[in-house]
Amino acid sequence: MQFQKSAKINYLKLTHNMDFCIAISGAAGDGVRRGGLLVAKLLSSLGYNTFVYQEYQSLIRGGHNASVIRFSDRKIHSHRYYYDLFVCLEDYVLDLHKDRIKGLIIHDSKFECSNGNTIPIPMTEFIKEEHKPIIYRNAIVLGVLCRLLGIRFEVLEELFRKEYDDAESDILLAEEGYDYVKEIEPILKVEKIGDAKEVYSGNDAIAIGMMRAGLRNYYAYPMTPASSILHFLAKQEDVIAVQPESEIAAIMMALGSAFAGKRAAVATSGGGFALMTESISLAAMAEIPVLVVEAQRSSPSTGMATYTAQQDLDFVIHPAHGEFPLILASPITVEDAFSMTAELLNLAWKYQTPAILLTDKHLSESYESIDGLNGSVTEEKIEVVERCEGIFKRYEVTNTGISKIAFPPNIVKANSNEHDEFGFTTDNPQIATEMYAKRMRKEVAIKEDIQKREPYKVFNHGKDCIITWGSTFGAVKDVAEELGYKLIAMRYLRPLIVPEIKGRVIVVECNYSGLLANKIENKLSREVERINRWDGRPFTPEELRERLRGD
Amino acid sequence: MELEEAKEKIKKTITWCPGCGNFGILRAFEKAASKMEKVVVSSGIGCHGKISDYLILPSCHVIHGRVPPFLTGIKLANPDLTVVGFVGDGDALNEGIEHLVHAAKRNSDITIFLHNNGVFGLTTGQITATSPKGFRSKSTPKGNPEEPLNPIALMLVSGATFVARGYAGKVEHLSNIMYEAMKHKGFSFVEILQPCVSFNNTWKFYRKVVYEVDGARDFEEALKLSYQTNKIPIGVFYKVEKESYEEVLLNL
Ligand SMILES: Cc1ncc(C[n+]2csc(CCOP(=O)(O)OP(=O)(O)O)c2C)c(N)n1
Ligand code: SF4
Ligand SMILES: [Mg+2]
Repeated sequence: MQFQKSAKINYLKLTHNMDFCIAISGAAGDGVRRGGLLVAKLLSSLGYNTFVYQEYQSLIRGGHNASVIRFSDRKIHSHRYYYDLFVCLEDYVLDLHKDRIKGLIIHDSKFECSNGNTIPIPMTEFIKEEHKPIIYRNAIVLGVLCRLLGIRFEVLEELFRKEYDDAESDILLAEEGYDYVKEIEPILKVEKIGDAKEVYSGNDAIAIGMMRAGLRNYYAYPMTPASSILHFLAKQEDVIAVQPESEIAAIMMALGSAFAGKRAAVATSGGGFALMTESISLAAMAEIPVLVVEAQRSSPSTGMATYTAQQDLDFVIHPAHGEFPLILASPITVEDAFSMTAELLNLAWKYQTPAILLTDKHLSESYESIDGLNGSVTEEKIEVVERCEGIFKRYEVTNTGISKIAFPPNIVKANSNEHDEFGFTTDNPQIATEMYAKRMRKEVAIKEDIQKREPYKVFNHGKDCIITWGSTFGAVKDVAEELGYKLIAMRYLRPLIVPEIKGRVIVVECNYSGLLANKIENKLSREVERINRWDGRPFTPEELRERLRGD
Repeated sequence: MELEEAKEKIKKTITWCPGCGNFGILRAFEKAASKMEKVVVSSGIGCHGKISDYLILPSCHVIHGRVPPFLTGIKLANPDLTVVGFVGDGDALNEGIEHLVHAAKRNSDITIFLHNNGVFGLTTGQITATSPKGFRSKSTPKGNPEEPLNPIALMLVSGATFVARGYAGKVEHLSNIMYEAMKHKGFSFVEILQPCVSFNNTWKFYRKVVYEVDGARDFEEALKLSYQTNKIPIGVFYKVEKESYEEVLLNL
């Protein structure tokens, strides 16, 4: 199944009470992303589930940005293709979205807009009167949306007060927006349906998950879409977050900290990960635990730096020279990113080997409403030898392959060269045979362990089955049930544990060749069907439904 | 493993060429380290890097060129440790030069000992960043087309707060410098002139031109001194007290 834009994508009618999609679009610098996040927070404060997809370009001013906010009374993990309401902040962005707009358009009256049902709002005039910069149009938009969605203004006011130390101008402008559309009948009546939810991005959840599992030192060289993990951790009191000279320095610092006994992690995207690979091999050889986050973006090379992809699976699954045990997993939702990150940091320490969290831009930078990241995950402490006499037997050959660990100033000798049980360099063939096998034996223990955790999640019943990994789960989840498919969302990718499947198998992923599909075929020893896209855009439920029906 | 047993094992396994300058560095360091507490070491890849195996100290023999960030990671995790790295001229001035510059720039509280033998020893004598112009090696049969780099000057302008040079042939003098370097708070760099008997035998040359200088001097003078080539000064070039990177980050 090749990717081709079907002539017509049907509007996805969902049977739920509330399922509504709003897009805000403008130029970079208009604060569209922040605006979208605030809308999600507003709705979440009333107990709704939201999903926010942030589309932006690799530039700082001008260009095109969009924030797509979907909200519903049930759990959702994707945005939708069609917008029930569109907020247009610059005239030239309308063209990019016009096919997707199914409802009202709210726009700045500084330009004309002749597309169907429009409400011009004098946003630019309002902010000029208040001598506020362009970004304040967001406050007006929030006021207008508040009214049109039938939300009491006080709810918005409270949100502004919570978000900003000085919220007066925002509240004033929001009120102007609210009042301006007061005569228009609200299109929805959004009332409080439950306890307030919190809004987190995938990267927020990853950062919090690291901390939950005892992270002490974090090192990262900025690279979209991983950078916001660094921004988040840099604000925390009990984590040392450092931006060093390169990705190589980042991972070497992490290894230094782990060698000295502190839990450490790094995050990057494909290009930076490429630079880290030699050190990953070192971590495996010296048995120094480290968590590496690889947030995929469109590739090869610089690709489309701010767009999503799942193109690095083959690279990351065997990331460096030599054979060594490696744990690789990919979270499927924001909440999953939290618990999986914590789990991987724990596993890295338990097995003293590198663990990699493979995420993607769509999960890292999208937002979801969550009841709170309280899951049961905690730091799983490992046994540490506090004091030892003489030279510590750091690499004792054991049945499981796992040796006891100790830290300096104890005399612990770690080594990138093949070594004996005490860490001394060796090229003795017998010792090399045993030591290599000792490391590799950890794979057996890891596989047994993962099997007991959750290597994949299964949803729905059905003869035929759709398989996903990473964020792609979100859009598939919305249509699989309707179309009668069972859905298997893979979580662990190495070891890859695939259940027995009888019927048709369709693997949906954001890459050209079907990287997971290839591995599933290998496991099942038969051909599977593939749905792929590689344009940097995440799937939407509507598009998927067309493609799933189109065959 | 008992320490006596370890000493015996090490004695039997040293694989440096007889006459190599690394032996002097090892002796000088053992003496200096015996006066210190909680020392942890790391080393790069090359003949110099083997020193991790020859020391009865916690150690990690890492990969080529990446010692400085590994040390900073250790220091940030446990600031009580005295963190020391042994690097080669190829290791630190070719493969990983950015790390050396940045470690100096941030004044990380670590100590770097550069085994400068002017060649890639372990890969059989090819040129490094410090090989003289015209130097003939397997990779430069017609002579090195490049000018050498001045490690002392590089470290001075990068912001190192302790910069010194020692000579593997003057063990006592070197040992004192090493001790002073480890005692110094902030980034310490010691270039060690290290003859390589197999690929760049400089014993005779250094014996003639090396001379000791006393005490530290101001920055400009130190920089000027680093460009002296007719005679080669050894000693502490520059030393200044400054807040270390770890002090700033960890609010020590
Ligand atoms: C990434 C990488 N590239 C190349 C090598 C091969 N290599 C091993 S030692 C060495 C040169 C070492 O030179 P130097 O750092 O001066 O150390 P010396 O042997 O002279 O002490 C090289 C290039 C390696 N181990 N790793
Ligand atoms: S090759 Fe040179 S540096 Fe290496 S051990 Fe021999 S003499 Fe020493
Ligand atoms: Mg050398």
